[in-house]
Amino acid sequence: MPIVFRVAYRMLQDRAEAEDVTQETFLRAWKHLPNWQPKAKFSTWACTVALNLCRDRLRKKKPVLMDELPERVDTALRPEEALASQQGLEGIAEKIAALPERQREALTLCALEGMSNIEAAAAMDVGVRALESLLARARRSLRASLGAQLAGD
Amino acid sequence: MMTVNGMTQERVLELIAAYGAEPMGWPEDERDAARALLEAEPEAFAAALSDAEALDQALGLEAVPEPSAILAETVLAAAPDALRTRSGLIDRLSSLLFPQGIRWPAGAALASLAMGLIGGYAYASTGIGYDQADSAYYAAFGLDSGEDWVSLE
Repeated sequence: MPIVFRVAYRMLQDRAEAEDVTQETFLRAWKHLPNWQPKAKFSTWACTVALNLCRDRLRKKKPVLMDELPERVDTALRPEEALASQQGLEGIAEKIAALPERQREALTLCALEGMSNIEAAAAMDVGVRALESLLARARRSLRASLGAQLAGD
Repeated sequence: MMTVNGMTQERVLELIAAYGAEPMGWPEDERDAARALLEAEPEAFAAALSDAEALDQALGLEAVPEPSAILAETVLAAAPDALRTRSGLIDRLSSLLFPQGIRWPAGAALASLAMGLIGGYAYASTGIGYDQADSAYYAAFGLDSGEDWVSLE
């Protein structure tokens, strides 16, 4: 499963929409292949395109309050989710989904996809310091929302 | 405040707050100095590391559903037509697909990939944290194979 899909899913919380964004990203890649020039890694470029497509889609949706977020598409628990449930960490994905858009982008690229700070900042078109600030705020918010569920507490 | 190679306690705490407890997730250019300070004064960072580890573990339990089986096929099916119109690209794609020199018609190669035969080829990892499937997926198109892309957005 390509990183583009995973990033798009985390941003949109909808599998069909994430697949649309993945297809559109690759269609753009095929179209632009002749212009391939050495400036950025493909995965960074692809994530930039995917994030922009996600932002467009999110802008078209009306804002929803956290308690109005739609249920996730797949109701069957995946192994990681089953483990999370056993450990009393239900809803980690939903809590990530509830983060502000830019914080979610930063957390997705760095913490969940393992991108370097430089790559993630490039994909988001922000400076490294701004990326760090987004990451720190995202982690602080998650700690607050997960609260006593976290093992360290 | 103690410093090691210009690294300060404050900066290490910032790194932990933004990137988590695992030094491999920290910026490469600061990692060694931060680690040295961490080892020199472990008690100064124990609480921050414990908090960050708990959240890192929670993030590790986040899961994304698999995309539908036809997504990769759809993406691949779109590629040949877009590429065939541009001379030289098919040759380049083929050589990247089969670095050992085995030459197949591009359509057949792509069809093979779509049928899941991609796993038989070894591609270099393209970055820390990217899973093997991603590397193979992009390498299949000759992307992230040491050459870079220009930002097109």
